[in-house]
Amino acid sequence: MVQNERAAVLIPVQEKAGLGMTALDDFTPLVRSHQRRIYRALLGMVRDPDAAETLTQECFLKAYQRRASFRGEASVGVWLLKIAVNLARDHRRSRLREFWHRLSSSSEDVADLEQRLPDPHASQERVLLGREEVATVWSAVEKLSSQQRAIFILRFVEEMSLEEIAEVTSLKVGTVKTHLFRAVRAIRQRLKGGRAGE
Amino acid sequence: MNNHLSEDQITEWMLGTRDDFVSRHLATCHACSVAVEELRSTISCFRDSIHATAQRDNSFWREQQLAIRERVSVRNWYPLHWAWVAAMAMVLIAAIFLTRTANPPQNKATEDADKALLQEVQGDLVREVPEALAPAVLIAEERNEILTNKDTQQMKSTLRKRREIK
Repeated sequence: MVQNERAAVLIPVQEKAGLGMTALDDFTPLVRSHQRRIYRALLGMVRDPDAAETLTQECFLKAYQRRASFRGEASVGVWLLKIAVNLARDHRRSRLREFWHRLSSSSEDVADLEQRLPDPHASQERVLLGREEVATVWSAVEKLSSQQRAIFILRFVEEMSLEEIAEVTSLKVGTVKTHLFRAVRAIRQRLKGGRAGE
Repeated sequence: MNNHLSEDQITEWMLGTRDDFVSRHLATCHACSVAVEELRSTISCFRDSIHATAQRDNSFWREQQLAIRERVSVRNWYPLHWAWVAAMAMVLIAAIFLTRTANPPQNKATEDADKALLQEVQGDLVREVPEALAPAVLIAEERNEILTNKDTQQMKSTLRKRREIK
């Protein structure tokens, strides 16, 4: 499976070397099959639909440029997520860009993410409670470091295994678990604080 | 109550670590099982909110594919473009260099003219009097000659007179 994915990425390189079709034609199916997951993970990490959209494009652009470096040791999905996590970290570091973006943003308000609950038929009370809790989780996630946030999103939004997360973040499984432990504890404490204040 | 699960035990359970003691406790302790369930439910709501936001219509994904394709093609084209420009510049430089070294016979007339000019300049430098004053020099020379002739004639006539007196 991994070998097949490696072939899917490397074929464009060989073809670019003169075997016929353009490399781009083979790259588009890869984009099609992974773009939703990459966008969703980035959305969780940057909490901004516009930024997530731009970073998704950047992610595939970088993947295309670095396709020769893909060695097939992990799946293409993990490789793409690795690029996405690095992009999200760089995006977060760029505070100045964030500041200007907020000033000029016409994007969907980030608060909308808290309003989106999957079950529209739930009771009004449950919906409100759910929104509050989701908002609390968001505020706790916001306070996590880039790495902890990425790990939390990959575990609980993308439902990846600890081994896969270790692969994406280039950390040991034990370190990933420690980060997750701290992230969950921080969120739980925040939730408890919120409930105590009610 | 100290008999409930600790924060760390609940967190470990959430991360998927299964422990017999925790498992048995959750089966019997309503408060702890509610705490675990609430945390699980909240995180689940959080996940669902992101999944719901990430649900976009097909046109969004198509536009994104096109945007990526476009950006990749632009990046692909740029190196080629610069390679072309560099190649053309090299050809131009080579052409200029070759035409400059290949044309010496055609410039022989120019070289002769240059040589003549240099000789003229050299002549000007060697000349004692500027070219513009040359007529004046000629007049002066003629005058001197006339004066010299006059003096010689006077001297001759004087000598002749003295001889006659003697």
